[in-house]
Amino acid sequence: MVESIVSTGLAIGCIYALIGITYNVMFSASRVFSFTAGTLGMLGGVLGSLFIGRLGLPVAVGFLLALAGGVLLGIVTEIVAVRPVLKSLDQHLYVLSTLALALIVQQFTAIEWGTEARPFPRLFDIARGGFDQQFWLPMLACATVIVGLELLYRHTLIGRAFLAIAEDTYAARALGLPERSLRMASYALAGAIGALAGFAGGEMLLAFFGNGPMLTFYGFVPVALGGMGNNRGAVVAGLLLGLFQQTANFLVGGIFASVAVFTVFIIVLLARPEGLAGAAVQRRV
Amino acid sequence: MSLTRRQALKSAGAVVVASSLAKPAIAAKDPIPVGYLPALTGPSSSTGVGINRGIQLAVKEINDAGGIDGRQLELITRDTQSDPTKAVNGAAELTRGQKVSVVLGPVNSGESLAVVPLLARTNTPQVHPCWVDSLTDPQKYPMCFRNAPTNQQIGGAANRYVMEVLKRKKVAVISDTTGYGTASVNAYVPMLKAKGADVVYQGNVDAANPDLKPELLRMQSAGAEAIMPWSVNAGFLSRIINTRGDMGWDVPIVGQTTLGSGQTKDLLEKPDYWAKVYPNNFRPVCYAPGGKLTDRTKAFLDRLKSAKIDMGDTLLWWIALGYDSPHMIGDAMKAVGTEPEAIVGYLNKLKGFPGVYGDISFSADKHDGYPDDEVVMVEANSLKDGAFNLAPGYSA
Repeated sequence: MVESIVSTGLAIGCIYALIGITYNVMFSASRVFSFTAGTLGMLGGVLGSLFIGRLGLPVAVGFLLALAGGVLLGIVTEIVAVRPVLKSLDQHLYVLSTLALALIVQQFTAIEWGTEARPFPRLFDIARGGFDQQFWLPMLACATVIVGLELLYRHTLIGRAFLAIAEDTYAARALGLPERSLRMASYALAGAIGALAGFAGGEMLLAFFGNGPMLTFYGFVPVALGGMGNNRGAVVAGLLLGLFQQTANFLVGGIFASVAVFTVFIIVLLARPEGLAGAAVQRRV
Repeated sequence: MSLTRRQALKSAGAVVVASSLAKPAIAAKDPIPVGYLPALTGPSSSTGVGINRGIQLAVKEINDAGGIDGRQLELITRDTQSDPTKAVNGAAELTRGQKVSVVLGPVNSGESLAVVPLLARTNTPQVHPCWVDSLTDPQKYPMCFRNAPTNQQIGGAANRYVMEVLKRKKVAVISDTTGYGTASVNAYVPMLKAKGADVVYQGNVDAANPDLKPELLRMQSAGAEAIMPWSVNAGFLSRIINTRGDMGWDVPIVGQTTLGSGQTKDLLEKPDYWAKVYPNNFRPVCYAPGGKLTDRTKAFLDRLKSAKIDMGDTLLWWIALGYDSPHMIGDAMKAVGTEPEAIVGYLNKLKGFPGVYGDISFSADKHDGYPDDEVVMVEANSLKDGAFNLAPGYSA
């Protein structure tokens, strides 16, 4: 039981964490919570299955094309659902615009791909069993993204520019940083990370159009618990969520596991509204 | 020239007489409009696509053979897109706009739940194949008939197989959290208990849950000797089968027809995992021990092949069910004409209509026409030409 809780819990936790990071990367660049994050995850699984499973492309090519699909949706999200509502952020119109885009993509996938779950191909020809690739692939993807983002943000000029935009958009623009291009690049990056989450978790979640809302929902929990815009918090909260959810599956089971997860979620938010790792918001006076 | 009231009345009378004389000659050649509400697209369309192949073939056969007393059947189709709202709109248009003589469908219970009460108010005979028990009621819906089994019959057959053929008393019943899944568990568990079963596990699980091992371990530790899943979600069902295989747990899985679908098969980690999986099916469209079909079904298969109807992505019982419906209605119209009351009167006395899918009988107080003993269980891994072998324990 413990082995199953750890392997499955950590694997699904890594997928949630990656979707949480997807939310954060988009949020940092625009102050917008784009609800296309889960849809990107769903699309990563579906495109991986399409390119590798159905079209028979090599794994590496299918992987890159799936990420490219995520990048494309990230850019479209920025142009179609985010940019037009940036001027009225306080009205939270982005909730509607990003949800609408997510629904459009989900329905389009249902029509073109089908509404039944389809198999995701085995990426490596290794015998099943034990600590299977369906468990370690999401963990590897999550570790890669964490290290990659740290390197990007701390050691590259463009990464520092991302941080500058996230810190203070107006100041960054006053210093001559190309805010719009950087925001677009952030959304493209988020698209790739979201698609990677779905691709790496494809064997667990299958290529299924209905994964979108599930990932949008559960992927938001690490963001809220870990602190908005805080990637480290999202990773820790994502892993805890996965472990807790899997433990609840074993202990209470059925629909009660979801009830347990969201009960704890609400209790944590009541106790620490800024999230476990978030700093209290300072109000200007 | 002025027109007196008497002249006007004479002229009007002449027109009425002339039109009433001419009408039978024209009507005798008019096609008979038959409304049809399949789900050809959308989430629940796989059933509708299969049924549609049978319906189209039957209508073509009837029309090629001269129609109904020289009148062609005109199938007026409105795709419900698996959406109850669109099904209601389609039904309203078929009855009010197209003035159809009869409606076939909808083919999914969710859509029928919305459409049946509407059609009951429009004096239109309806034949549908949906399983939800409440979808026929001769008192509330006197013109609505079901030429397929009810949920009670489906669950009853699975329960009988587990209890009487497999001789398993400790049963685990699981479903997803959809309306169909929860309603099935709530209906079938009391039926099992009434037959003396010990339901050691009963649960509803989110179909998107990627790991069902906790649930199966719970079933195993409770001593379950059979798993009965009720869901139409191939992903959910395949996870149950895969988890059972990974655990090396030798326990039969008995339940919903989707257990035997191609989508479920595609999601299995190993083909061997499909062994000892027994979904519902229907005796007339199954291979008896020895691999034989009935003569009626064999002739039907030959007709399908000669009509080049694709069998690879669907099931024989869906096509057979679709095929029988227009023939049954066609027989009624040949016998009594196209008036709604006459058709309903004919169907109320129908005895043993020889369908490929099954022998259908109705009475004035029973509009569920499918016989109990033709609902059976089959071996999921025996699919060939859209049909399955009867599960072990059934006689020929």
